Amino acid sequence: MEKLKACFDFSDLPRLDLTIAGLVLSALLVFPIFPHSSYAMSTVIQFFMFALYGMGWNTIGGYGGQVDLGLAQYLGIGAYTTAVSMIRWNTPFWVSMPIGVVLAIIWCFVVGYSVFRLKGHYFAIATIAMSLVLKDVFEVWKFVGASRGLEIPSTRFTSPDFLHLVFTNDTYYYCLILAFFVIGLLYINWFRKSRLGFQLRSIKDNEEVARSLGINVQWAKLKTYAVAVTFVSAVGSFHACYVKNIEPEDTMSLDLSILIALMAMLGGAGSLWGPIIGAGILIPLKSYLKEWLGARAGLVGIDVVIYGAIIMFISAVEPRGVWGIVQRVRRRKRA
Amino acid sequence: MEIFAGSMVAGLLIGLLFALIALGLTIIFGMMDIVNFAHGEFLMLGMYTALLTSQATGLDPLLTLPVAGAVGYLLGIACYYGFVKFLLRGPMVAQLLGTFGLMLLLRNLALLFFGSEDRTIHSGILVNRAFDLGMGVVVPATKLAGAVLAVVAFAVVWLLMHRTRTGKAMVATALNRQGARYMGISTERMNGLAWGIGGATVMIAGALLVNFWSVTPYVGLLFTMIAFAIVALGGFGSIPGAFFAGLIVGLITEIPGFWDFFTYLTGSRWMAGVSMTPFKYTCVYLAYFLIMLLRPRGLFGWKN
Amino acid sequence: MKKRCTVLLGMTLVLVVIVGIHTACPAAETIKIGVIYPLTGGAAAEGRELRAGAELAAQIANNVMADIDMDMAKRGGITSLGGAKVELIFKDHEGNPTLGADLAKQLILDDKVVGILGCYHSSVTKTVSAVCEQYGIPMINDSSTSPALTQRDFKWFWRTTPHDVTFTQDLFELFKGLTEGKVKGVPAVPKDQIKNLASACEKTEWGSQVSETIETFAKQYGFDVQKSLLYAAKSADLSSEVRSLQAVKPDAMLFASYASDAILMVKTLKAQKVSAKIIWGQDAGFEAPEFRSTLGDDVVGILTRTVFAPKVAEVKKVAGQVNALYKKNIGHDLSGASARSFTGLQTWVEVLQKAGSTKPEEIQKTANSITIPGDQLIVPWKGIKFATSGSDRGQNELGSGIIGQYQKGKDGEIVLEIIYPFEVATANMIYPFKAF
Repeated sequence: MEKLKACFDFSDLPRLDLTIAGLVLSALLVFPIFPHSSYAMSTVIQFFMFALYGMGWNTIGGYGGQVDLGLAQYLGIGAYTTAVSMIRWNTPFWVSMPIGVVLAIIWCFVVGYSVFRLKGHYFAIATIAMSLVLKDVFEVWKFVGASRGLEIPSTRFTSPDFLHLVFTNDTYYYCLILAFFVIGLLYINWFRKSRLGFQLRSIKDNEEVARSLGINVQWAKLKTYAVAVTFVSAVGSFHACYVKNIEPEDTMSLDLSILIALMAMLGGAGSLWGPIIGAGILIPLKSYLKEWLGARAGLVGIDVVIYGAIIMFISAVEPRGVWGIVQRVRRRKRA
Repeated sequence: MEIFAGSMVAGLLIGLLFALIALGLTIIFGMMDIVNFAHGEFLMLGMYTALLTSQATGLDPLLTLPVAGAVGYLLGIACYYGFVKFLLRGPMVAQLLGTFGLMLLLRNLALLFFGSEDRTIHSGILVNRAFDLGMGVVVPATKLAGAVLAVVAFAVVWLLMHRTRTGKAMVATALNRQGARYMGISTERMNGLAWGIGGATVMIAGALLVNFWSVTPYVGLLFTMIAFAIVALGGFGSIPGAFFAGLIVGLITEIPGFWDFFTYLTGSRWMAGVSMTPFKYTCVYLAYFLIMLLRPRGLFGWKN
Repeated sequence: MKKRCTVLLGMTLVLVVIVGIHTACPAAETIKIGVIYPLTGGAAAEGRELRAGAELAAQIANNVMADIDMDMAKRGGITSLGGAKVELIFKDHEGNPTLGADLAKQLILDDKVVGILGCYHSSVTKTVSAVCEQYGIPMINDSSTSPALTQRDFKWFWRTTPHDVTFTQDLFELFKGLTEGKVKGVPAVPKDQIKNLASACEKTEWGSQVSETIETFAKQYGFDVQKSLLYAAKSADLSSEVRSLQAVKPDAMLFASYASDAILMVKTLKAQKVSAKIIWGQDAGFEAPEFRSTLGDDVVGILTRTVFAPKVAEVKKVAGQVNALYKKNIGHDLSGASARSFTGLQTWVEVLQKAGSTKPEEIQKTANSITIPGDQLIVPWKGIKFATSGSDRGQNELGSGIIGQYQKGKDGEIVLEIIYPFEVATANMIYPFKAF
């Protein structure tokens, strides 16, 4: 009960933050009622998905300072668990998602147990290496469709099917992922103030000191990793139902891992709003820049050039990301 | 036996090439603890530089190596003073983010200007030439030149680092930046120099590679990953480490060849049924992972 | 407050999306067809070809062109729909299946297209066709060759191009023809001289499927696949793969590779002095213009499957007329890609003409019953007629492939001569392949 209360307790944040967050959230709530293009709809759904991936990354990468560049492997585990069990045994999403999460956590302990001994760049590259190994295995594993991937036959279910999450109208997906998003946000709000959250921050600052304070560093990292993996794997399961077609290249690629980390880092690693801001900037930018510049003007690649330039600019100007800039402006105003 | 000898030689040759590619990355890392995601993109630009220069001037692609080296040096220095300098103030997260942005920028600028087609060099001294040494050992001229160049480059860089004043200053900066600054070394200049040398070596490698490989704007990432594995395996920042790790990685990519050899040697039906070729690069990553467990600092790690 | 605009920036961008309301225009005298191709990304070169082919077909359909012997060219619009013009809406999927599905939704819901044409990559066609199936919008696929696409019993999916099973069977028919002496310019070859095969295919969806198909047919036709390996596409080095092929001393080497790998493969074969009596490539890389221009004389004697070669113009008049027009517009000959996208859009036009309606149900009924005779097409097929049931539902039953061989013409230029089907062969086959 205490914990639940802490989830809803935002009182330590400035009122302005909460006002803006409230406004945005209510705008998102009423969004499906207004006429909108399907492109806008899928962009917003993607925004939610990446915000959730980013929140997951933010626990281990932001609060814990362990830069993981291989989270897509857990996304793949979640997506594949859901897809395989749905195709073969008609398992409802609500059953396969927890199974996927459990599998992902087991795998994350296997990976985490060994990689958490490494630090800094060694850690980052080890996570990349492990995720590529898993992807290569999935590419030849016949049971999960090898490189051909799996397709959830949407015609087998009658829409709307709330058990298997097969809908013709994207609004259902929208409502569902919005609910996920709110739950995730509340959880992270609790997490950042929890014991584990504070332990992590002290590990990030100085591991030796943290250890001397009696924190079990390895176990704290593993627990946080499990939290991160839960986020990613659960949304991965959703991804499988939403896209209905998954391939190793699509769900487990290095690009995806990096994109997840990028969102959170750009928004501001280690802050509550960071991953949300990051996804809120990059996802619409990605969809619409391409539409405006790439497709209309025929300048191939110009969209990603701008995208890259923005990332470079922010990383050079303010290493703590967009949220860092906001904080700095605030501090200057107060002074 | 022929397969064994052939695989061995091919593995060592490609390993030297990989080492040459990784050299720049390890220099840069050694100096300022920054992992450059755009490393493969420099290689790609080196390939385009050689290709375009030789097409525009009609020179043999081999003669474009100095051009690529010069462009690489300038580009490296420009990147440092224009961008990386600012990144160094931030934490590792920001550095990863920044070089990743640089990678996207360079790759897509190439896409914008050069298009996405595969491009190749059609003629030249090295193009389509190979030496047959018997015993199933065939050495393509490009790889031989690359291997020789790799050995030379490693020797030069090593000598530069240990025999010249500037080199010693660079090593001092790498070991202890604060201390080096107290000794009157301009660490800023040293960092810039490291980027210049790093850019030059990798673009020379690119100019050489284009004699054999075709180039597209997307060619970089695979080489970045291999270079990462090499640098991490050898120990970040260690130059001899990168050399030997390159050879190891080269041999690992030849695992399918060795697998075939043992299949024929033992006549095992089980081994014949398993194809190792899809796992070529998987083996590299797995080897990296396993070695990390045994020696978390890499084979030749020297920095804390 | 003003300084807080940075916070707002992030949030407002989300809002921008929300405000991004597109209003759907009411259908005028044009019929909108959504066309999804890889206009950027790794296959951008093919994407440009595909787009040019489809645009040419639309141009011919919308205008009266008396000098082209094709029904479509005589009508100037779709006469059964009051002379309505065809309007193409192009979208770029970058080779990304998820993006493809998104674009398909966008075309169906926002642009209100009548139907969809695309998408080249089999993986993208898979997701796009699933979206079409879900919304009940017809889709014609012109250029994806994965056999699995038509094995899904979809009601809204039709494919004009033959698929990889057909193409691979063509290859074994050629082998059989060799042993029976049917190939132009080659006396019958004893079967044990070409019995040992080895294949190397890239390891993603397309290559792995080709590899399986080769093994199936080899068994059926009585050939031995000594080695079949899958390799990582866009590889940095193929020397171990080539050595692996060399070890089994194959009579014929079969490949499924994209352009950069195909070039690297042949270069490595040459460098390692590996050769076989027959070298065959499953289209893609082996048909790319860069493959020919890079390797020059080395490609002479290499076989590739395709659906169109400029040489078809010699045996088919209408192909020559369209090819001339295409060459005038674009500057080079039609390729396998552009000929197929042309045919895909032509099929759309014929279906609409016959249906006389833009209702999905009417289009579905017409597509299931239509027969387009072969003399209307620029590709050397017997025609277009879709299977309406069975394990290959929606597949064009009258399509066929070509096997071409690179040969040096009289003027020293390298051209793709037709070797198979034997009836339309344009040159003697070079057999055996001369060593590099």
